[in-house]
Amino acid sequence: MRFLTRIAWAAVACVGAGCMGAIAIDRGEPVNSAWLVVAAICTYLIGFRFYAKFIATRVMALNDERATPAERLDNGHDFVPTNKWILFGHHFAAIAGPGPLVGPVIAAQFGYLPGTLWIIIGGVLGGAVQDFVILFASMRRDGKSLGQMAREEIGKVGGMVALITVLLIMIILLAVVGLVVVNALAESPWGTFTIAATMPIAVLMGLYLRYWRPGKVLECSAVGFLLVVASVMGGQWIAASSYAPAFTLAAMTIAIGIIVYGFLASALPVWLLLAPRDYLSTFVKLGVIALLALGILAVRPEMQMPALTRFVDGSGPVLAGKVFPFCFITIACGAISGFHALISSGTTPKMITREWHTWPVGYGSMLLESFVAVMAMIAACALEPGVYFAVNSPAGVVGKTAQAAVTTISSWGFPVTTERMADLARMVGETTLFNRTGGAPSLALGMAHIFARGGGGEALLGFWYHFAIMFEALFILTIIDAGTRVGRFMLQDLLGHAWKPLGRTSWMPGVVLSSAVIVSGWGYFLVQGVRDPLGGINSLWPLFGIANQLLAAIALSVATTIILKMRGPKYMWITCVPLAWLVLVTFSAAWQKIFSSAPRIGFLAQASQIEAALASGSLSGAAAAQSRTLIFNARLDAVVCGVFMILVAIVLVDSLRLWYRIMSGAQDRQVFESPFVLSNLRSEEV
Amino acid sequence: MTILRRVFAGICDLLNELSDQNAYARHLSAHAREHSPAEWRRFTDERFRAKYQRPKCC
Repeated sequence: MRFLTRIAWAAVACVGAGCMGAIAIDRGEPVNSAWLVVAAICTYLIGFRFYAKFIATRVMALNDERATPAERLDNGHDFVPTNKWILFGHHFAAIAGPGPLVGPVIAAQFGYLPGTLWIIIGGVLGGAVQDFVILFASMRRDGKSLGQMAREEIGKVGGMVALITVLLIMIILLAVVGLVVVNALAESPWGTFTIAATMPIAVLMGLYLRYWRPGKVLECSAVGFLLVVASVMGGQWIAASSYAPAFTLAAMTIAIGIIVYGFLASALPVWLLLAPRDYLSTFVKLGVIALLALGILAVRPEMQMPALTRFVDGSGPVLAGKVFPFCFITIACGAISGFHALISSGTTPKMITREWHTWPVGYGSMLLESFVAVMAMIAACALEPGVYFAVNSPAGVVGKTAQAAVTTISSWGFPVTTERMADLARMVGETTLFNRTGGAPSLALGMAHIFARGGGGEALLGFWYHFAIMFEALFILTIIDAGTRVGRFMLQDLLGHAWKPLGRTSWMPGVVLSSAVIVSGWGYFLVQGVRDPLGGINSLWPLFGIANQLLAAIALSVATTIILKMRGPKYMWITCVPLAWLVLVTFSAAWQKIFSSAPRIGFLAQASQIEAALASGSLSGAAAAQSRTLIFNARLDAVVCGVFMILVAIVLVDSLRLWYRIMSGAQDRQVFESPFVLSNLRSEEV
Repeated sequence: MTILRRVFAGICDLLNELSDQNAYARHLSAHAREHSPAEWRRFTDERFRAKYQRPKCC
């Protein structure tokens, strides 16, 4: 490395360390978000240039002379050599979902510091490493899936456990993202109209593409985007008109609507609804993320939230539990997400042209996702803390009336008034902003403030708020639709072993039955979340976080096994350290969620508390019946949490047994890579 | 200007890839076929079947 280059990298490291130190040490005065942005970017640059390159050269020994599956198996369909920057965008669009946006907003209750440090450090040392190693491993195995690699490299048990874990995670994921949409749209005619309008717009796009202008996807998406923007504007008119009551729906009505929608959409032809909306949501997602980045850079909002709040002690109103371990399961996708391992072993490895392209695509895309999470944290923490807690706290914690809520929140040291909340609600075209749990409304509020300060001022606050809600709901509904369909395929795959016709994806009774089972699964948890007096997010988001991180533990077990087989124990720490951290975090969080004696944290304690109230006779009639349901739900959540722990413990024990056998020489270090073939691609073809 | 042009071309390429228009062009060239509404429907039926059997990320 040349002297000047070394000086430049040393400067990047010093600036990053300085900014990181500033946000970690500074107390009292609000910190400008520019410190977070610079700290994150410098850390990413150092991680990408030095740590990832070290892994690429010393551990993976990436070799551009070696033909990738995209070159060897090129069929112009799945296996296609693709430009690395296009693939970077493609992969990023595939891994970026609502997780990195919602998780940091919920974790902001601990203050901006714990979540931001976890996002940056976890991303560089954990998430990006996982994505990179799994992408590399899958590429060397002709694009095999995580489950296939687990089966081959660890054993049959690992493969089966990975499949079941994915199915269970899908059910919890769909319920929790459904709940985010329900809480954002409840009693909001503007938001409900906008989201309802996206469905006929998507169908119109489907017909446009299928019959009127086949193949013109970009043109069709541009038309769809204009119509969606028009529907956001139309929502304002609807909310002020006599049609408003028709779109002012209770949370349970919206939940039932989403369940029915999920069932119908998963059975409808893909081209009619899912595919056109997927195109639209991908473009809107990338556009809004770019817009948010520009907005934050231009506005550089100050972080109103303190670095650490009193809620690190576990008494948080948004999500109960201490900062350790709950901050680390609340933020999954922005730091490390097991779901990414499914994407890294899906389409992407089949499109890698050169082995070295896995470096920016696998490692770099995750860093960008991590940066999205930092931006979400900034958007949430730029709000006044009192407003943040008023929006995100459930009525069961802060009180059912506006006055009770502001009194409780102000007593925590985060002053807020009913007048301030009423003003804000009026400016964004809502009747109230109290108790809008789930993260989406406060994120939308934070984004709207940044966008409005960037141009348009308070006059456009309502438009930007509903535009942000539309953007979040659009791709969440796509996830619900696609997830139900995928869950149905997985279930049919399993049921097909019992009775063959059930496995046929074209047999309508099988399709209807399996769709109904999957929708009932996530629909049950969604309804449970809506009925939960603590807002649902308090129970479901930790379950989702634990499940997602446990899937990451499976992915890191596979990655560690592969590294051990390739290079011996010398470099195992690269994936073993994040694995050990995840095991510590997820198992302690899962243990607390099941067995903690605090009813807001432990599911069993919560069930016992309600049972005691029921036994004392203080509840009767409908309240007693609802309490019995709550008791059952709390125990069910405890069982689900326990099942996740057992499944992952099985994979871990299986992996540890294998690692011991390899290191003691009882088993040879056979890797299941495809044989080396010399690449014929010339540099101009890459 | 050259850099800006390259960035713009890269963005256009990415949009074409994300919209499956590149994949469709590759499909036509691999099978030596001309674009037609029926061909587009054949291509999307096959592509969507594979695409939506994979979970979308959270």
